[in-house]
Formats: sequence, C-alpha cells, structure tokens
Amino acid sequence: MGLLEESLDDNVLTTKVDWLLNWARLNSIWPMTFGLACCAIEMMAVGAAHHDLDRFGAGAFRASPRQADLMIVAGTVNFKMGERVKRLYDQMPSPKYVIAMGACATGGGPYFKYGYTVMKGVDRIIPVDVYIAGCPPRPEALLEGLMKLQEKIKRTPVIRRPAHTL
Amino acid sequence: MELQAIHDTLKAAGVVGLLGCDEPRPANKKEKDPGRAGMPFLLVDPAEIVPLLTACRDESRLQFDLLIDLTASDPAADGDDLWVLIQLLSLKYRHRLAIKAHLPKSALSIASATAVYRAANWHERECSEMFGITFEGHPDPRKILLPDDWAGFPLRKDYEFPTEYHGISCE
Repeated sequence: MGLLEESLDDNVLTTKVDWLLNWARLNSIWPMTFGLACCAIEMMAVGAAHHDLDRFGAGAFRASPRQADLMIVAGTVNFKMGERVKRLYDQMPSPKYVIAMGACATGGGPYFKYGYTVMKGVDRIIPVDVYIAGCPPRPEALLEGLMKLQEKIKRTPVIRRPAHTL
Repeated sequence: MELQAIHDTLKAAGVVGLLGCDEPRPANKKEKDPGRAGMPFLLVDPAEIVPLLTACRDESRLQFDLLIDLTASDPAADGDDLWVLIQLLSLKYRHRLAIKAHLPKSALSIASATAVYRAANWHERECSEMFGITFEGHPDPRKILLPDDWAGFPLRKDYEFPTEYHGISCE
C-alpha cells in the first residue's frame, strides 16, 4: 500500500476493516451487571481496584442488557432463574458473548446429582463462548477467560465471511 | 423456663393437645455426650396447633413472642408420618421451645400459624411446596421458591427427580 500511503497525510493510517472493528469490540466488552451466586463475589473482586477489569476496557458494568456486550453467568442457574437469563440474553444487542463462570454455570457443579431445580449448565439455554473452571474461579481465572474471549473476537471475520457462512 | 415447666404452665392454662414432652431421639452411643442427643421438644396434636401457639404467645409467664422457625421433616420413606417442627423464642424471658407435630402422610393438612405469628407466612409456603403439606387458612398459598408449575415435593424421601423441565434435560 506504499503508493496509497504516500498520497495521504501523515495523520491517516490504513488498516483492514475486520481488524479495526474487532479491535474496537474486544477492547470495550461491556459486561452486564448480573450475579447469581458466590461467583459474583469473585467477579466483583475482578471489577475492583486490585484486579482492575478496566485495564481490558471491560469494567463498565451496564445495568441494562440493551447496553451490554457480555453476559458473565456468575453462579448457579436454576430453572426459575434460567427463564430470566434467557430473556436477558435475548434483549442484548448483537454481537453478544457469554462467559460461563465456575462449575455451576458450566455443568451444574456441586448440584449436579441432587440439585433438583439446578440447570446442568447454562449452555442448555444460551450459547456459551468461554467456560471457566473453578468453584468459585479465582479472579485471575476470570481475567484469563476474558482474554480468551478477546482472542476469539480477534479471529472473528466481520466483513469477509468464510464461504460456508454465506 | 425449662421444658417441663413450660409444659405444666400450658396445661394449667387449659391447653389441650399436649401429647408429651422431653422425648429426645434415641441417644447415639458414638457421640461423646449421649445424653445431649436431640433437642427436647413438646409433642402436640396437630389439630390443636393454633390454640396452643396462641397460649404460648399470650400466656404471661411464657410470652413466646418470636417464631424462630417453622419447618418439616420426612424421617423415613417407609414411615407413616411427616413432622412439623416449630421453634419459638421469648425475647423477654430468653427461653426457647421446640414443638413437634406428627402429620400422617395420608392427610397432610394442618392449620396455618399465620394468624398467631405472621412470620410463619413464608415458612409455611416453603414447607408446603417442599413437603406437600396444606396449611389451612394460609393467606397466600402460592409457591415461594420453586417455579409455579413445579410438580412433586423435593424434600420428601420418596421424591423422584425430574428428567426434564420445559424441554430442558435434567440428566
């Protein structure tokens, strides 16, 4: 792109549209203010000063699903709550992402055998992008999960879609 | 006031339905102090529960003004009875009372304690959905924790776990 760059001013950069959009998205993943159980305590720790989720541009916890990009399912999902979780997910604008934080949201956790109302994993009602192990996961694990999600967003084709999705 | 004295006070006040008191469950020999196995309780007739609770609350030497807990227990799958268990506390005298009523599984119905203790409201709703006990005269007999269309009583010993709920597998 040498000829093109020479013809532009010094203040203009050229890049790929896919890269630019993904760069913007992955550096401003706004999560929804939303905690279901003890995992939410760890999530709050991640949002607070010591672990500082804002370093990743993901510290703006939105109080409305309509302003959120990321749903961190932090805790036990039972059937009664599952309906509400699904409704909240449906209200989020695309592109939207889901992190299943901890053993309960991943697969029912300690309630797998005798939890009569516990859903055995939130992926039975909504699609999950990243699963985080732990009961509850340490704050570092949630940060790792967020970085995994950023890597996933970075690889997402926005303009140039693969042929099989057309 | 000790349990026997409470029992005698109630009896002197003309309360009927007192079936016995101080019947701890059989002592467990593995425990260090087998004499302390089980909390002493007052065994009562479930048909007389409301006058009994009223007397516990209003009798001047008892004054049980706080309902600590109201719950139930299913002691055995092949047993005939469910237990309704009530814990009372007097803030003035600092004495406590445990009340137990045996309900036959064939007729799981008992009068609501909400007319005496309003705190019993949510406890009875939970008891009702978990054990299938009907509290006659309850002002708001909806489910409290489970979804409205839930079938079965999860804390009963003979409960069978659901295989799916609204098309979501429970396996």
